[in-house]
Amino acid sequence: MIWQLDLLILSLIVLCALATISVKDLFSAAIIFGAYSFLMCLLWTEMGAVDVAFTEASVGAGVSTVLFVAAVFRTTRKVKDRGVKRYWTKGVGLLAATSVGGVLIAAVGDFPGFADPLSPASTHLSPYFITNTLTDTAVPNIVTSVLADYRGYDTMFETAVIFAAGLAVIAILRRSKTGVQHESREKVILSEGYEDTIIRLVARKMVPFMQLFALYVLAHGHHSPGGGFQGGVILGASFILIAISYDMKMLLGRMSEKWNVLLGNIGVLVYAGIGFVCLLLGANFLDYSILHRILPATDEIMARSHGMLGIETGVAIAVSAIVVSLYVNIASQGKHDKGL
Amino acid sequence: MEYILAKYNYWIYILLMMIGLYAMIAKNNLVKKVIGMSIFQTAIIVFYVSIGAKRGASIPIIAHGHGHDVIATAVSAAEYANPLPHVLMLTAIVVSVGTLGVALAVCLAIYRRYNSLEEDEILEQLR
Repeated sequence: MIWQLDLLILSLIVLCALATISVKDLFSAAIIFGAYSFLMCLLWTEMGAVDVAFTEASVGAGVSTVLFVAAVFRTTRKVKDRGVKRYWTKGVGLLAATSVGGVLIAAVGDFPGFADPLSPASTHLSPYFITNTLTDTAVPNIVTSVLADYRGYDTMFETAVIFAAGLAVIAILRRSKTGVQHESREKVILSEGYEDTIIRLVARKMVPFMQLFALYVLAHGHHSPGGGFQGGVILGASFILIAISYDMKMLLGRMSEKWNVLLGNIGVLVYAGIGFVCLLLGANFLDYSILHRILPATDEIMARSHGMLGIETGVAIAVSAIVVSLYVNIASQGKHDKGL
Repeated sequence: MEYILAKYNYWIYILLMMIGLYAMIAKNNLVKKVIGMSIFQTAIIVFYVSIGAKRGASIPIIAHGHGHDVIATAVSAAEYANPLPHVLMLTAIVVSVGTLGVALAVCLAIYRRYNSLEEDEILEQLR
């Protein structure tokens, strides 16, 4: 950790945060927010949180920006300024922000110093994970072993939350094509009728490599940064790339809505199903060490490693399906006719 | 001065959180409110990851940890950053894209009905 670099990145982050909430153009706000996420990713790499940085790079800087751009494209680009001074709301906002901030600043005095190796958070539970991950699970990436094994319940319900979010977006937005359509009066031209052979060709050639990389990130998550969440998001991003560079029909012809939701289901079910298999074999829910009875040529330690790979695969399937579903519904306002 | 420098990450996280909270309350545009919510979320993540940082520690992946033979070598907890906050925040980031999707979907549904994303215009139509 180099504090000068830390401070540089942090000041850029604060600048980006101020810029993104103050620009009048929502499209610019979305792009500046993407830059903000990317700076966050740099900050986390610098602090040693490589898995978090990887997730931020794929989710925050990638998919979130696409979702923002899609939402802005489907609504309006300009922030209307009608000259009405809203002193009352701004005053309440400032008051709330400063009072919450003041309470938190008062509490900082009780925090341990930044990066103190003897802070309470680093001395009670986490040394167990660090010292035992190899002997318990044979997985050198501690983040993966804690995510998928020691705290498997947590991750299972997080996956269920993602799935629920996908269902909520479908419930809010999905309309049939023949219904009453409320076209926006003000068209935002980003790529309408714009068909570029170079972009299409390059995108088409990139997609298989992206998907291969996604599988690598998923499967190699035990030994390097990565895992089910990151791999799933990259896989979903490859489908989004098809939808952006061609059109929505091309994507939906290959991956229909029915299949998409079904895959989201299957992902969560794979996770919970592995847990139930453990239960059926006589161990606790999500206790993968018992899987050595049905997996060939494994002992109890390697069974935990393989069990983690299984549930990470479930996470990747669910996350990729839901990311695609979020994009398809937001970019087409739930009509599934055309995207960006 | 030393007191301020020793905890600079905590000051910045509070600053980011205040920016996010202010945007959520005071901004008139709904997409700006959603951006404020995302800034608020990342502020919390900065806080957690800062807790997990350790001076002189490496990334939480055990070096030369492949295969069966290495298991005997003892691993010192001081050499690796605290992985627990990383795990919690990794899932939080992915959940934040879920909440972002739902929030933007609600914005689109509001736009479809009221043809505006400005809070005061929507409130006028609701009256």
